[in-house]
Order: sequence, then C-alpha cells, then structure tokens
Amino acid sequence: MSSNSSVTTVQLGSVSQADELQVHLLPCEIEHDGPAEVSRYFTAAIKDRKHELTVSFRGRGFKGQEVICPQGYTGLVLKQVHKPSSDQEDGVVKVSSVFHNLTYWNLETPPSSDDGVVMAMGWPELAEAIHGPIED
Amino acid sequence: MDLGKFEADNTVSCRLSSPIPDVCKTEDCCLGIDEAGRGPVLGPMVYGICFCPVSKKEDLKDLKVADSKTLTEEQRESLFVKLDEAKSFVGWALQVLSPNTISTSMLQRTKYNLNALSHDAAIGLVQYALDSGVQLKEVFVDTVGPAEKYQEKLSHRFPGVEVTVRPKADSLFPIVSAASICAKVARDHAVKGWKFLEDLGQVNTDYGSGYPNDPKTKSWLLKYLDPVFGYPQFVRFSWSTAQSLLDSNAVAVHWDDDEEDGEKAAACQNNASMLSYFSRNTHTHTHTHTHTQANGHHSSPREPHRFFTERRLHSVSSL
Repeated sequence: MSSNSSVTTVQLGSVSQADELQVHLLPCEIEHDGPAEVSRYFTAAIKDRKHELTVSFRGRGFKGQEVICPQGYTGLVLKQVHKPSSDQEDGVVKVSSVFHNLTYWNLETPPSSDDGVVMAMGWPELAEAIHGPIED
Repeated sequence: MDLGKFEADNTVSCRLSSPIPDVCKTEDCCLGIDEAGRGPVLGPMVYGICFCPVSKKEDLKDLKVADSKTLTEEQRESLFVKLDEAKSFVGWALQVLSPNTISTSMLQRTKYNLNALSHDAAIGLVQYALDSGVQLKEVFVDTVGPAEKYQEKLSHRFPGVEVTVRPKADSLFPIVSAASICAKVARDHAVKGWKFLEDLGQVNTDYGSGYPNDPKTKSWLLKYLDPVFGYPQFVRFSWSTAQSLLDSNAVAVHWDDDEEDGEKAAACQNNASMLSYFSRNTHTHTHTHTHTQANGHHSSPREPHRFFTERRLHSVSSL
C-alpha cells in the first residue's frame, strides 16, 4: 500500500563502500527473507556448457544467462535501517550492496532476447528518447 | 572400472563403455540389460548392457556370473575383473543417470517418469551396440514393470532382434547377470567416490543403504538438509521421502507451473481485475499516488501498457 505523506530516504553515502555482489533472479517464489547458503549450494553447482549456464534448484532445472545493467545505471540492494511504525513516519534504507550485472534463470527454457529481464534493460534508453530534451 | 568421465561432471547422464571385441562384430551375439540403483533416494541409477557371441554363452557361464543382488561387493568386484579379462569376447556399456538428471526429468514441466527414463536408457544402449557393429540377434532384459508391453516396445524398436523381457532375468540368463554386475559395480563406485559439487567440506559418507526406509539414510538426508536449497545434488529430489522431509523442514517454494500455485495465481489475478473494475473510482480518492498529487489532478489510474507488463516493469512510489 502506498502511504500518504511518509517519505523513504535512501542513504546513498554507503554506495561507495558497498560490496559488489553477484545477484541471481530465480523463476520461483521462495518463502524466505534472509541470508542463504548461496555460494555453498547454488553458485558452486553452476555449469557453463557451450555458453549456456545451467543449474538446478530443489530438483528443477534452470537455464540462464548474465545481463548487464544499462549504461549509466547501477543495481542497488537496499536494506531497511528504520522501519516506520506508522503511515506518517519516514523510513530509511541504506545501500547494502551494488551490482552491475545479474544472472537470471529460466525454468527449463533456454534464455533468449525475448525474456522479460533482457527486454526491461532497454527501457532506460527508450525513456531517455521519449522523455529527454529534444535536440535540434 | 574407470568412472572418470562421469566424475568430471556428475550432474548429467554419461556413457561408459569397454572396447568392442572384434568377434562381436562378426558373430551373432546375445546382449543382456539390467539396472542398478533404481530404488535409492541417493546417487545415480546405472543402466548396463553386456554382450558376447551366442557361441560363447557357455564360457560366460564358466565365469560363474550370477545375479548381482545375491553377491557380496567383493564378489561383484572380482567378477567384474573376470569380465574385463574376458574382453576378447565380452563387451559392456553403461549409462549413468545422475541423481540430478533423475530429479530434473521427473520434476520437469512435461513430466518424464522413471519408467520412460529407464526404457530410453536401455534403448539408447542397445542402439549404441548396434551402431558399434555388434551383430545383435538376442536381447535379454530384466524388468520391474509389466514385461509384455516392454517386450513389445523393444521388439518394435529393434526389428530383427529377438527380445526377451523377463522379471528376474538377472538370475535366469548369465548375460543379464553380467550386465547387472557391471551396472552394480559402477553404481557402488559412483556412490563411494561421489564428489559433492556443493561446498560442504568433509561430508559424512555414512549414507546407509540409500533406500528411503533406511533410518540411517533418512538421518543423513536431515543432516544435510538446507532450509532454502534443500539437498546437495547427490539426492533425488523427486523421491517422495526427499519431498516430505522438505515439506516439513524447509521453506516453501512456489513455481509458476505448479498446478496448485498456478490456480492460486490465476485466481488472484482474476480477483484483482474484478476488484479494480469496481474500485476504479474510489481508488484515486483513497490512495493518491505521489505523482498524481504532483500533477495536481486526479486522473483515473490506467492499466500499464503491455510494454511494461511484458517487461515486468512497475512504477514504485513506496517500498
């Protein structure tokens, strides 16, 4: 729900010190919010065969690829440092890590340029073209 | 037995084979098929074929091969050495189906069940023998399922070859016993020498029998259960024991193609669209978005254009 008057402040001061992190986007919903043994179970099991990344999660096969954040953009992983207790109170989040590329995974189907994530990366350029100042 | 090729990548299916004896390319041959490790919740399932000239059946009998289940591990090992020593007239080939192959096949969107997986492995191996120039005349197969249907399927697939599918074929036909020994030795080696690709440090290899009803196996599964990732890929996630332990000890995971989840998602979407139809007018009054406020007028919220929904792009005004 959007709130009426509260503001969420992003503390960008932490960007420069934030670690660069490998981010994975999975084709499922995991009912878990917190740390996970990603490198132990997941990244250690990734195979790179003929430029196609494969891995499995919970016995299901994934195929994936890496996408790069659009030029001039940095991916941010935000962490809430102050949780507002009411609608009126402001929230504060800080940058816990940054990323410039991410690996997205499809359930069983090979990655392609028609995948939503790949196409989404084209939005900033299009937005610039339609919203940016018109040059003569 | 050298499992190096499988161990190089134990997440996929792998073919291992002996050289083809020259005599098998010129004389009529018989071939036996058997499997090892079908039931266990851990490790690979191995399909094996063994073949020799029909004229050498008695020589094979003299090696005293028997059903691998009636033999001790040491006896199987020494019989495999004997089969290897008889390589002038005995050949073998194996299809090692990794637990990851089994899990991802059985759980995939278009389900590929264990029987189909087994049949395809067997067919692939017979085809391999034919492609290698083995003069196949007789094929003997051990089966756990209905024999007639399977026999029909194989006979149809390999015209000109006499196919016999029989329960307990591994104790009736020496060539099937030989195949069962090759498969079982490979399975034992693969389990014993399993290289965990997960970074688990020193792994306790006291798995028990690997069968789901073995308390030792069950406690091993629980010991290495991760609440998010489940198990290492050594485990067959598709086994009901593995699943039920996850249901009670791991966090829930929802898939788009899961029937229950899919229906729920569809229901949610339907509800949402109905509600938004009725609440369109009130929506702008109760929840004013920051950008409409800034614009100073209340336009009714529009459905985002397909361009955005296809890319799953959303406007975010709060976290």
